[in-house]
Amino acid sequence: MLSMQNISKMYQTEMVQTHALKDFNLEVDEGEFIAVTGPSGSGKTTFLNIAGMLEPFTGGTYSLDGVDVGSLSDNARADLRNQKIGFIFQGFNLIPDLNLYENVEVPLRYRGIKSAERKRRIESCLEQVGLASRAKHLPQQLSGGQQQRVAIARALAGEPRFLLADEPTGNLDSLMARQVMELLEQINRDGATIIMVTHDPELARRAPRNVQIVDGQMADITLYQRNGVEPMQKIAGA
Amino acid sequence: MFLHYLDLSWRSFKRTPVVSVLMVFAVAVGIGITMTSLSVYHMMSMDPIPEKSDKLFHLQLQTMEGEQTRRGSPDGLPYQMTYQDAVALSNAPIPARKVPSMKAGFSVHMNTPEVKPFIETARMTNRDFFDMFNLSFVHGGPWTLEQQDNATPVVVINEEINNRLFGGANSVGNMIYLDNRSYLVVGVMKQWKLNIKFYDVNNGAFHDAEQLFLPFSLIAPFEIDTWGNTNGWKSEETNTFQQKMRSEDLWIQFWAELNNEQEEREYGEFLMSYMQEQQKSGRFDRDQLEYALRDVLETMDYRGVVSEDNRILVGLSFMFLAVCLANILGLLLAKFLRRAPEVGVRRALGASKTQVFYQHLVEVSLLGLMGGIVGIGISQLGLWGVRLTQDYYTELATMDITMLIAAPAIAITSCVIAGLYPAWLVCGTTPATYLKTQ
Ligand SMILES: Nc1ncnc2c1ncn2[C@@H]1O[C@H](COP(=O)(O)OP(=O)(O)OP(=O)(O)O)[C@@H](O)[C@H]1O
Ligand SMILES: [Mg+2]
Repeated sequence: MLSMQNISKMYQTEMVQTHALKDFNLEVDEGEFIAVTGPSGSGKTTFLNIAGMLEPFTGGTYSLDGVDVGSLSDNARADLRNQKIGFIFQGFNLIPDLNLYENVEVPLRYRGIKSAERKRRIESCLEQVGLASRAKHLPQQLSGGQQQRVAIARALAGEPRFLLADEPTGNLDSLMARQVMELLEQINRDGATIIMVTHDPELARRAPRNVQIVDGQMADITLYQRNGVEPMQKIAGA
Repeated sequence: MFLHYLDLSWRSFKRTPVVSVLMVFAVAVGIGITMTSLSVYHMMSMDPIPEKSDKLFHLQLQTMEGEQTRRGSPDGLPYQMTYQDAVALSNAPIPARKVPSMKAGFSVHMNTPEVKPFIETARMTNRDFFDMFNLSFVHGGPWTLEQQDNATPVVVINEEINNRLFGGANSVGNMIYLDNRSYLVVGVMKQWKLNIKFYDVNNGAFHDAEQLFLPFSLIAPFEIDTWGNTNGWKSEETNTFQQKMRSEDLWIQFWAELNNEQEEREYGEFLMSYMQEQQKSGRFDRDQLEYALRDVLETMDYRGVVSEDNRILVGLSFMFLAVCLANILGLLLAKFLRRAPEVGVRRALGASKTQVFYQHLVEVSLLGLMGGIVGIGISQLGLWGVRLTQDYYTELATMDITMLIAAPAIAITSCVIAGLYPAWLVCGTTPATYLKTQ
């Protein structure tokens, strides 16, 4: 489904050049659940942004569902994003003027989904993250963890085939984190491909496949048995 | 989606109320000033009788002898006509409808102490005048041909005078007094609302129409003199009114209704032969015989009804609008760029650039609409000011439906122009730029 070859990303600021990604290679099959780990600043968010076509990359080739992303127009990328990809951002990035209901509604509107169907999906997703009663609240009236859950609901409402989650459980207590993880596992079972960045080794272990990024490069890939604890296979320094 | 964008625009408006109100006000002031000058210009240049402006022709004859021409006239032709030519041409066989006319004035009274006498302007003309200029009657109608030929003292009054003298009742058949003579009321005319007194621009193109209409044939027996200008170019004795009527003095306006090019051509030929005929008796003593037939719009243009000053004023006020828009552009730029993070999120969630662009254009259009509506209020104030200071502009300094629609349309268009660059800039940001930080 996703194929990255020799992807590199360089940020050029006044003072320094940062190689956020170097020679990055990854193949992801349809229906996979991948946990991405790595130290802070290693390039995890950069990788997700490139995977979600939110950012151009400076080198290499990236194809999604067999389509060469580099050759697409901006509008075509927006279209693909809208049709296939769901995001849970690291900073939740809720729109401050919109209440929870409306925040979750944003991607659905751009997809042209009818109002009744939108309502059904929004209510069910807010229900799933336990915030149905707060639909009319504004983001600033919520705690960090609650905002995180709205961001998750927003990503789920689109029923994406491909979900990119950046620290989706970062602000949640362990109980809530486990519930979110179960939610993600559920939609993965329903067919969605998931790439999730996490710092929590416990959660990472629950994903069948772990990718570690260090200094913008693939450090290792660990395959776990589903729900297992012992790594089945460890591929060092890809 | 449009309604949704409108909703978002309204929220955005409310989020920064001070800046938003400031922007609406800036648009409104620009639009207000532009619409004030544009409305006056529009009313001035509007076709005053669109249904037949191309069929009504004002006639000018070059009566001045030798090398003489009228000073100030673009083509040297006198603007008015002699009494004798006016009478001769109105008795001519062609065209079917043509009228001499002249501005006069009377003291109006009822010969009773109840009604105080008042001064009113009048027009001396022929009965065809009413048909030619599409005037309609509330009661009665024009005087008869017989009354006209016999110089019967009859009068057509307008609604306003009828209200003043008869409390609005049907006054046909009643007598009124003009100066010291009594006249029979034969018709009550509907109020003649004119932007431009196009049939006689000699004494101010923006004066009101006259309130009383009397047969032209009364001029001779009652020695009714003009209340307009008399232009003399020849040194001759004009001490008595009889002398004036026979003189080369110019004081009459003349209109002809010509329905097609053939009629125009025939009338032109007729006029040439008329002048040649007159030459035999020593008049029109010049090498080149000249006449001019101009339809209503040509006449307005020829007489410079809309002055160059007015055009400059409209231009200046549009420039002022441009300055207002430059300010708006700056404010919009600041406002939109502050919203870049939100746009980044929308883009990441599947909004295309086009959708983001459209959303922002809806927002500036809403701004334009509000500015346009407030601007109409401001231009009403402006026009009220014009009416207050310029008495003659009462009919002119108003906004008709065209201008009322034009105001928001111009406001929206200009706001969209001002908003294009900020909107384009904000939808050009890479979605990811703002996503890494909260
Ligand atoms: N827009 C940018 N301009 C310049 N440098 C950037 C930009 N975005 C990221 N970087 C740099 O690229 C590197 C990778 O950043 P990235 O956000 O991908 O890290 P991360 O792995 O997500 O870290 P964390 O776990 O803290 O979220 C960092 O060194 C960062 O400073
Ligand atoms: Mg990150």
